[in-house]
Amino acid sequence: MGSLLNVLLSYLLVYRYAALAFVVYIGAVGAPLPVNEALLALGAFASQGYFSFWGSLALSIVANCLGDLTGYAIARRYGDRILRALHIRKARFFTNLEEELRSDAAITVFTTRFAGSLSSVTNLLAGLVKVPLSTFILYDFIANVIEPGVALGIGYVVGNYWDDFSNFFTIIAGIVAVSVIMFVLIRMQRKIAKKYG
Amino acid sequence: MESKKRQPHGRYITIALICLGVLLAILVALFVREYFVLRHANIINRRGLSFPAFIQKHGPLNASEVGVIRPWMTFDYINRLFALPKDYLKDQLDISDPHYPNDTIGNYSSANKITDVAAVADVQNAIINYFNKDAF
Repeated sequence: MGSLLNVLLSYLLVYRYAALAFVVYIGAVGAPLPVNEALLALGAFASQGYFSFWGSLALSIVANCLGDLTGYAIARRYGDRILRALHIRKARFFTNLEEELRSDAAITVFTTRFAGSLSSVTNLLAGLVKVPLSTFILYDFIANVIEPGVALGIGYVVGNYWDDFSNFFTIIAGIVAVSVIMFVLIRMQRKIAKKYG
Repeated sequence: MESKKRQPHGRYITIALICLGVLLAILVALFVREYFVLRHANIINRRGLSFPAFIQKHGPLNASEVGVIRPWMTFDYINRLFALPKDYLKDQLDISDPHYPNDTIGNYSSANKITDVAAVADVQNAIINYFNKDAF
């Protein structure tokens, strides 16, 4: 098990729900933390009576949503200025990504919640292209119920075997993330092909 | 020609998709391998998860399962896991840290200048002695 995960688990056991909220929030903002593995372990802790399953799920959903909203809000407020300074605005790939997000905000926001770090990138882009807040919140919330729910649920079911399942679960999460990224890229490629014949 | 000039990034997306496809294939192969590892360890049987074993495993652990103990665990968590009296490990390991039981085995090993492996072994032996004492 990675040393970063060990540290997270120690903090979860010592500081409990405060640590859970902090870790999930920071992970949603974009820090490369093994949040899914930590939630898997937390599900096991809940099965052992050490945490409340429903309390942990509710807190994870709220912290995830707040983290995603943070990225969205920062990009919406300051994104244009940063892009102008970096001269990224006119890059063709970036404009195509913007178009993808504008035309299919709901499906893009929803699917990228399951794509690891792409989720944080999508939050920033959604803010930049000014995806309606209501659309962002709704589809972000729905996906944020599913993602931690699955991790916590699997951890709860496998209980004391969660450590054995950790690799299995990480691989499944990786398969889902790569599939989502491919899905988004294929949609972009189809739109480009349609646009330029 | 004009359309090709306008969409050089279309080629990059294709390259990215090919790379991701290869990565996906590797992940699927790892998934299959991991599935058979879990089958071999009898954690998953042919029909799926070994539910009777899992249901049992949600209860307190016993002396034969001290192998689950890791340095990141707190004493409070271990007490819950093995249904130990609150101060049992504190007395057995002579812990004077006021943070007990909300302290990790890792911190205990640092405070006592021993390795994590030795600290885990101390805890495991204390738990085994508890269950052996109970058996008598």
